[in-house]
Amino acid sequence: MAAPKENTRSNNDHDEDYDDIPLQHQRYFGAGLHKRPISFVSASTGSSQLQSVNNTTPKLSPPQDISDIYLNLVLPKTPQPSPPPPSESQPDAPPCPICNLPLQAPSSPTHPPSQCPTPHTQSLAHQLSLPHSHPPSSLDRTRMGLSYLSSHGWDPDARRGLGAAEQGIAFPVKARLKDDNRGVGMPVSVSKKGDEKGRGREKEKLLDAGKVRKLVKEEGRRRERVWEELFGDGRVEKYLGKGAGGGGS
Amino acid sequence: MADSAKTLKRSSAEREGTQDSKRLKTNGDGTTMDAKQNPYLAHLEEDGRSGFAFKSPLDKFERQNTTARQASEAEDSDNNPWTNNPHSQQYFKILKTRRDLPVQKQRQEFLDMYHSTQILVFVGETGSGKTTQIPQYVLYDELPHLTGKLIACTQPRRVAAMSVAQRVADELDVNLGEEVGYSIRFENRTGPKTLLKYMTDGQLLREAMHDHDMSRYGCIILDEAHERTLATDILMALLKQIAERRKDLKIIVMSATLDAQKFQTYFFNAPLLAVPGRTHPVEIFYTPEPERDYVEAAVRTVLQIHASEPEGDILLFLTGEEEIEDACRRIGLEVDDMIRESDAGPIAVYPLYGTLPPHQQQRIFDKAPDALRKGGRPGRKCIVATNIAETSLTIDGIVYVVDPGFSKQKIYNPRTRVESLLVSPISKASAQQRAGRAGRTRPGKCFRLYTEKAFKKELIEQTYPEILRSNLANTVLELKKLGVEDLVHFDLMDPPAPETMMRALEELNYLACLDDDGELTTLGGLASEFPLDPAIAVMLISSPEFYCSNEILSITSLLSVPQIWVRPNNARKRADEMKQQFAHPDGDHLTLLNAYHAYKGAEQAGDDVKKWCHEHFLSYRHLSSADNVRAQLKRIMETHDIQLVSTPFQNKEYYVNIRRALLAGFFMQVAMRESSNSKVYKTVKDDQLVMIHPGTVVTSPYDWVVYNEFVLTTKQYVRTVTNIRPEWLLEIAPIYYDVDSFEKGEIKSALTRLTDKVRRRQAMKGGR
Repeated sequence: MAAPKENTRSNNDHDEDYDDIPLQHQRYFGAGLHKRPISFVSASTGSSQLQSVNNTTPKLSPPQDISDIYLNLVLPKTPQPSPPPPSESQPDAPPCPICNLPLQAPSSPTHPPSQCPTPHTQSLAHQLSLPHSHPPSSLDRTRMGLSYLSSHGWDPDARRGLGAAEQGIAFPVKARLKDDNRGVGMPVSVSKKGDEKGRGREKEKLLDAGKVRKLVKEEGRRRERVWEELFGDGRVEKYLGKGAGGGGS
Repeated sequence: MADSAKTLKRSSAEREGTQDSKRLKTNGDGTTMDAKQNPYLAHLEEDGRSGFAFKSPLDKFERQNTTARQASEAEDSDNNPWTNNPHSQQYFKILKTRRDLPVQKQRQEFLDMYHSTQILVFVGETGSGKTTQIPQYVLYDELPHLTGKLIACTQPRRVAAMSVAQRVADELDVNLGEEVGYSIRFENRTGPKTLLKYMTDGQLLREAMHDHDMSRYGCIILDEAHERTLATDILMALLKQIAERRKDLKIIVMSATLDAQKFQTYFFNAPLLAVPGRTHPVEIFYTPEPERDYVEAAVRTVLQIHASEPEGDILLFLTGEEEIEDACRRIGLEVDDMIRESDAGPIAVYPLYGTLPPHQQQRIFDKAPDALRKGGRPGRKCIVATNIAETSLTIDGIVYVVDPGFSKQKIYNPRTRVESLLVSPISKASAQQRAGRAGRTRPGKCFRLYTEKAFKKELIEQTYPEILRSNLANTVLELKKLGVEDLVHFDLMDPPAPETMMRALEELNYLACLDDDGELTTLGGLASEFPLDPAIAVMLISSPEFYCSNEILSITSLLSVPQIWVRPNNARKRADEMKQQFAHPDGDHLTLLNAYHAYKGAEQAGDDVKKWCHEHFLSYRHLSSADNVRAQLKRIMETHDIQLVSTPFQNKEYYVNIRRALLAGFFMQVAMRESSNSKVYKTVKDDQLVMIHPGTVVTSPYDWVVYNEFVLTTKQYVRTVTNIRPEWLLEIAPIYYDVDSFEKGEIKSALTRLTDKVRRRQAMKGGR
């Protein structure tokens, strides 16, 4: 932590693995962090208190926010087929065994009969309900590991895992590199995307000769102004001695 | 069966042999009914009761039919029921505290359930006393001195196995290593008298390789099963099989978290017994917005607690050594300011992470500092820890927990064959576990540095078990040795991904540990005898062919312990200079060897080795443990007739031989320089761009290097590298370096050129 030691680190700037603190972050006093409290909020009711071991049964809580409600509507919770909407409950239309919709497209307010001349099998609902046929796995078939697994009855194209009931995960757990201090739930885009956008806009600028000339002129004017501010004062010139301003022009 | 009877007889004979000579060496004192009930005792002559030679309250006990009251009475007696020595004062003192533990109230309930079932799932939070008490309850019920069948209790960590064994030995008033012992990798402290054995889960797995039925044990307790370590997962799958074969084997699965149902269903719907921990309610707080910098937010939160919350210690979870040390420093500085400005109380900040020396780890149990002056604001303790403080360690006095929601997790990518330790968001279960740490002594508070929405949406339910995140080469070798034929349908709780399994099989195939059909080869069988990774084991086994098995043995031991180089922050330059003294221009493996030889030299010269190590910036602790590892491995080599040979040091091939021998195991960990005057290397076959870790002694840029490990931080590094010659690759691992099997690229063309060159040279030789 002592300052004089710092000169020894100049030659190993590149090694992140050593816990050296960069010079600019060295603080001999606190950085005033204690003056910036975080206004914590209590957990929402029901889950604010940690449950003890006794009540181990998970409680089915009602959906908490709007996306939950939406997912509850969209995702089938129970395998039983939902009853068809009342507008379509016509006893004469037999349901399709695949998509559970009546075979003859009935007239409904959302689908006027004139607009659905397509046969039932080509309807979106039917197509989505069809069992998927997956492309074969991309695993290299010559691998020794694969031949062992398939000799014990594992099918690489069946999209199954290992285990007694082949219930294991089908793909390895993915690693995601984290090289910043962003907290949980902080969107990735905030700092990085902003940077990229900024840079992108600069790149978009197309300059023709006139604009460049204008820029150069402006640049020159700015430099003059700085010059004047620095050396315009006679005292500075006096202090620096004669010819001090010469190098700049 | 015959086998187990033999071990049984031997162990009882051994036990008697060590007893005092004045005691009678009889087999038949005090018989009870249970001798006939036990099929194993039927093999013994007469009554078969090999109990104690002294009168013990345990004589009246009926095996597997005892009550809590009986046991308590035996515990209360003046003499130790297990040794007949009078109980010490200390014993009664500890006994009093033991009686206050939450599990004690349910001792009878536990015994009833234990008697009624073969497999039992036991849930008790950390601090309920399960790790120390349940094995003792089983001990008083199983009475292993009668059957010769031990009780094993597994722990995921070596330190836990050692410290818990010591604690239980104290509680039973016996010497550690006698009635109660422990066994961890490279260290076994058990004896012929041992009845209760704490061990790492990996160690039990190794034992099972030679004893497929685990016939030495009458009861196996898997502790901390919720941690789902690789070895525990494998043990569970094995025990599930063994339980069907051995109906007399009792199994207890102990977990500290609430998701015990998964264990129940897995173990044929085993009954569950839950013991409430001594927990108090914990109030949970979230941040209103996600945090930009979780470390800074964590520091701010600690300071905020210190400024405005009543007395009570703080536990902050961070991810790694650097981050923890940084946070400790920042907290210290800020609190100094607070004391100056607003008369805050003092704070003692302690880091806690795995690589911290034990005496520094112990400091977390120090008392919180007193107020600076009389009547001043009270001081408090702040522990900044990795997730070792999450489940395994019990620190009393913690009232506030700060949880940024991250931990370092090992993740293996079978496509690149890289195992890396990455900072990842924790799981909901983990977060709950962390929060629970606050309610150990009184109602506490947990500050989560993320929003409640993030908790619900971003965090996964359960942490991925280790088996899904690891390289399985070692595991597959062990499973093969354990006699598991069908790895596809092996009944693991969470089977790994097929690709991970394939990689492991292929690696072992290249190492010639498995044949093309996946059957264990002789080399594979031999490699599994070593408690090492298959690549290292193969290197060690083949080292006599390179006339350097002594040296490779030393290098292996040095690679099996943490880094021996010490590089303190305030003396880096001198440390580096000292390291340079041992440096070998050809690489780090050889440098390690040089340092080890120098260490042994100092030892033989009779120097003060500790002082010598300190002066040379070497870790005495790790060097001496490497020495210990070496002795253990040497014994294994000797039992398997692996020759210990050396090339004479004067021979110029001395180091060349060692470098070649390294390749016999590590030929799959080779990298080639991208282009001349580049610092970037590309790993062979996996095509990962890497740099050599700056800690290396290698200065000249070699074209081909072999590396010990791949480190993924912000950059990809290879650490501990040694220069090799590519011709050796073709010679030592011709199958792996079959040019046709390579993808098009620089490495392939380099190898093609090389093969041509070798062929031409051979043709020239042939022509002459």
